[in-house]
Amino acid sequence: MLNADLEIDARGLNCPLPILRAKKGINALDSGQVMKVVATDPGSVKDLEVFCKQTGNQMLESSQRDGEYHFNIRKG
Amino acid sequence: MAKRLKAAERRASILAVAKVLFSDKGYHGVSVDEIAVRLAVSPAILYRHFVSKEALYEEVLNEIACKRESYVDVVVNSDGSFDDVLRKITRIYIDSVSRDPDYLRMELHSALDGSDASRQFFDNRWKPFTDFIEFSLGELMARKALAPLNPKVAALAFQGMIREALYAKCIFHSSRYSDVALPELCDQLVSLFLDAVAYRGEQPGLAASPHEGR
Repeated sequence: MLNADLEIDARGLNCPLPILRAKKGINALDSGQVMKVVATDPGSVKDLEVFCKQTGNQMLESSQRDGEYHFNIRKG
Repeated sequence: MAKRLKAAERRASILAVAKVLFSDKGYHGVSVDEIAVRLAVSPAILYRHFVSKEALYEEVLNEIACKRESYVDVVVNSDGSFDDVLRKITRIYIDSVSRDPDYLRMELHSALDGSDASRQFFDNRWKPFTDFIEFSLGELMARKALAPLNPKVAALAFQGMIREALYAKCIFHSSRYSDVALPELCDQLVSLFLDAVAYRGEQPGLAASPHEGR
């Protein structure tokens, strides 16, 4: 299990709020640190992939369980 | 004579023509024969793709209602502040709707018809505004960056303004607002809204009374 440096709870939120929280979260980290995002909006899967591509961050893991989407993103 | 099309192309062309007719006249104002004439095909061709007019109407509605804007670009290219993100997602949204005014007409028809699609219209198109405004104002209040107000009512007020502006400009083409373009009109409404909720920025301690300075 990967230890995240920061966890963002975006459960119950719809676009653009999960992305906005992810942006604010990643800005608070140093390069190489990992942010975990937990969301319930199915659209967040595609949105966070695009977010990572556009911002130069790395999606380490994207998974779904019990109606929740879990993402681990390493700051570039 | 109608050009022979592949099944997928034919289906897409039926949906495109039906969308224009349904948005203009509503479900009851359009017959299968009229759609067939507009497409220069026989009604039998239509029934090969859609079992009934009702099925075709539902598919047109669902196709439009399921569209969902992606606001990732907006957030990435914003400074992350409430006012900047709100201004930008509003602009993206009105650009999208004004490019396809049939969307608004179908939304109204679906609400009047009591169709399930009206719920999808709300969930996919209007709910992001509601959620974003409600949650953001709530967070600003919690940080004492905004004076107490009802975020739910504020979000409703915002939706009402933008929706009315879209109807006036895209459906009624009202002469009252002919001197201002839709993007500029919406931008002014966003500014009015931010002023009404006494938004002063993101820093704690900036909260001002909503009636201060009036």
